[in-house]
Amino acid sequence: MSDVLIDDSSLILDTAEAAGDSASMKWVSCIIRPESLDAVKDALSQLHVVGGMMITDVRGFGRQKGSTEHYRGESYVVRFLPKVRIDIAVQAEDVEAVLSAVRSAAQSGQVGDGKAFITGIQGALRIRTGDRGASAL
Amino acid sequence: MKLVTSIIRPDKLETVVDALDKQHIVGMTVTDVRGFGRQKGQVEHYRGGEYTIRFIPKVRLDIVVQDEDAEKVVSTIGKVARTGNIGDGKVFVVNVENAMRIRTGERGTSAL
Repeated sequence: MSDVLIDDSSLILDTAEAAGDSASMKWVSCIIRPESLDAVKDALSQLHVVGGMMITDVRGFGRQKGSTEHYRGESYVVRFLPKVRIDIAVQAEDVEAVLSAVRSAAQSGQVGDGKAFITGIQGALRIRTGDRGASAL
Repeated sequence: MKLVTSIIRPDKLETVVDALDKQHIVGMTVTDVRGFGRQKGQVEHYRGGEYTIRFIPKVRLDIVVQDEDAEKVVSTIGKVARTGNIGDGKVFVVNVENAMRIRTGERGTSAL
């Protein structure tokens, strides 16, 4: 079973490299405020370079280590704040457009606006058709 | 920059966060996930019946750090998340090409 999986992933790699796609796909993972999800989703949809996105409810904290909440006169330290993660796979030349769209839609100027991280994608597969590389995006 | 993704036991989360805090590693994203490893889940006994739980609840911890801190994060998690029993989880390290702080637009390691 695991042998089959290993063979399959190396196939993805080979095909992507043969097509010159291995360096041309990027994974943009954005951690944003839950309330700015709709604005970010709309901004990304208008770009026409984003074929889809994955949304996950996550919890997290940054430099401020969460926040202090007040409830009925008591103060509580909330360690993990609710955030939303948006994962998008795009071609390398579209990364800057994605980042500026995310920034303009998710920026409030207050601490806690979130971060975006860019990693490389070595292969992609559209499950329905078997398309590999950038055409699978 | 490196992304350290670890899959740990949910009850180890607080311990791991405390230990990382002591190492001055601040900032992380936590996701509730389900998974299984080599043992393909576990067999639970309840009221005389036997049930196989295929996917066991785990917590995924994503931490992006500068290259030189990656080893510190991996070894800290390896130390404090370990119980010695099957199901302690795994840690993966992925290369991160760039980062952006949304509030200011800063890029690179200063965005961490």
